[in-house]
Amino acid sequence: MSFALGALPIVLLLLGFPIFLVLLTAVTVALVFFMNVPLTVLHQTMYGSIDAFALLAIPYFIYAGELMGRGSVAQRIVDVVQSGVGHVRGSLGVTTVGTSAIFGAISGASAATVATIGKIMLPAMRNAGYPAPFTAGLITSVGAIDVIIPPSIPLIVYGAAAQESVPRLYAAGLLPGFLIAAILAAYVLWFARRARIPAGGRFEWRAFGRALGRGVWALGAPVIILGGIYGGVFSPTESAGIACVYAAFVTRFVYRELSWREIVDAAATTFVFTSQILLIVACASVFSWLLTVNQVPAALVQWIESMHLARWSVLLAINLLLLVVGCFIDPLSSILLLTPLLVPVVKSLGIDTVHFGIIFTVNLAIGLFHPPFGINIFVAQSVLKLELPVIYRGIIPFVFLYLVALALITYIPEISLASMRLLVRGS
Amino acid sequence: MALNFVNVVGRYVFSTAILGADEVQVFVMVWMTFAGAAVVTWRNQHLRMDVLFDLLPAKARRWIRLAEVTLLAVMAGFAAVQSVRFAALMVSVDRRSEAANIPMVIPHSAVVLGFALMALLALVKLARLARGAEEG
Repeated sequence: MSFALGALPIVLLLLGFPIFLVLLTAVTVALVFFMNVPLTVLHQTMYGSIDAFALLAIPYFIYAGELMGRGSVAQRIVDVVQSGVGHVRGSLGVTTVGTSAIFGAISGASAATVATIGKIMLPAMRNAGYPAPFTAGLITSVGAIDVIIPPSIPLIVYGAAAQESVPRLYAAGLLPGFLIAAILAAYVLWFARRARIPAGGRFEWRAFGRALGRGVWALGAPVIILGGIYGGVFSPTESAGIACVYAAFVTRFVYRELSWREIVDAAATTFVFTSQILLIVACASVFSWLLTVNQVPAALVQWIESMHLARWSVLLAINLLLLVVGCFIDPLSSILLLTPLLVPVVKSLGIDTVHFGIIFTVNLAIGLFHPPFGINIFVAQSVLKLELPVIYRGIIPFVFLYLVALALITYIPEISLASMRLLVRGS
Repeated sequence: MALNFVNVVGRYVFSTAILGADEVQVFVMVWMTFAGAAVVTWRNQHLRMDVLFDLLPAKARRWIRLAEVTLLAVMAGFAAVQSVRFAALMVSVDRRSEAANIPMVIPHSAVVLGFALMALLALVKLARLARGAEEG
């Protein structure tokens, strides 16, 4: 059994087989050769995992993000933030951070943010005299905020895998997301002062008001999504559905940027993304069921308890594990593979599973841009035409800043739990 | 593929009016997942960890690809057979969904079709690779 669920999938994974096929092979071998259960359990578990209303939020949020990313929404948000902070030294860098945070509250896909916002901010920062490695590092790393700030797709998947409520997870992601944004912005300001980046013009209410007027529809999306969920009006799935209609309406009729053809194109892209993700969800559900019925998580808990480790050291070990995994495997697959193993362990240590969901996501977010293989590095390379050595050099301080944020989020549970208690009653 | 959009509009307009709209959307998602899996297979877009794979010499990569599509044909074929048995059961007991009263064979057969198509596409890719093509 340890061959079927341990050695076999690890070898196939390293050989670069599709992750769903790795899981499907592992569970099929385990079911056929090592267990005595009706084989239709394969179909039943896979089907049952996808037949879930909560997962419906995934295609809808992907679609809303796709639509909003195609038009001028990002540019409009940049204009609002820039006209607000333009007078500060280092304003363009701060705008990049602020815009990514706001954009993250519309879409949950990180690579798209790096591409969309990078295209706007890279030339501007270059012209303003920011050093190339700094700009590359900032733009490549900043998209990782998006998977932490709601609506986040990794958090939906974690919610499904750990049986934790998505509204609670979303609420808990808010403050950590802002914390990371604040740390990045503080660093940008310090760096700009040291590098003597010239400040922009004076702050003008009129310019700010004009930008706000042009951007109000774009800024409306996060208000509707989060306001709807925490006002108790919709479930996350319903708010995702509304976000789609809103995004289609704004890009088609208000800004008149997207043709019907592009709206259908966005649906086609969504279709492929959804299938990529949910097929792994289906196969991982059988894998996780097999782990549980074979009492693997329980054995793991016992083993860790037998070592009598302090809570902080287990958390440190889990963080290191997740950072390494995050460098190699995409966040969603990592969550699906590791949640059934790690959640029983953290529960036995008395750690809140919502708090752990945020720790998990921040780790994987770092993996998105961690050298040498973080996916956003390659997005920056291919879409923004940045050179790899420049990105690598520039990214190091940002990896360090994210690690500081990760340590704070890991060891101060209140950062995650405070916003959750504020927004979700009775938790 | 425009179904998604129609679906959203449908939900927006009818979500409170039609009981079972949630159920229909979930069934559409099941179809997107498994029918889409065939599309993703055809385009070689499955998520994978290919960091090590890319470092290997071309010859080794070819053998691994051959192994991969063979394994896919076997596993997807096996899953399709199990799913057919279950879908047939759904027909014979005439199971229907709780709210919309849709025959449950409809969502369940998405799994059958998805895996059957994937097995078929894997065979096509296998034939191409065996004939010496670079990519299946």
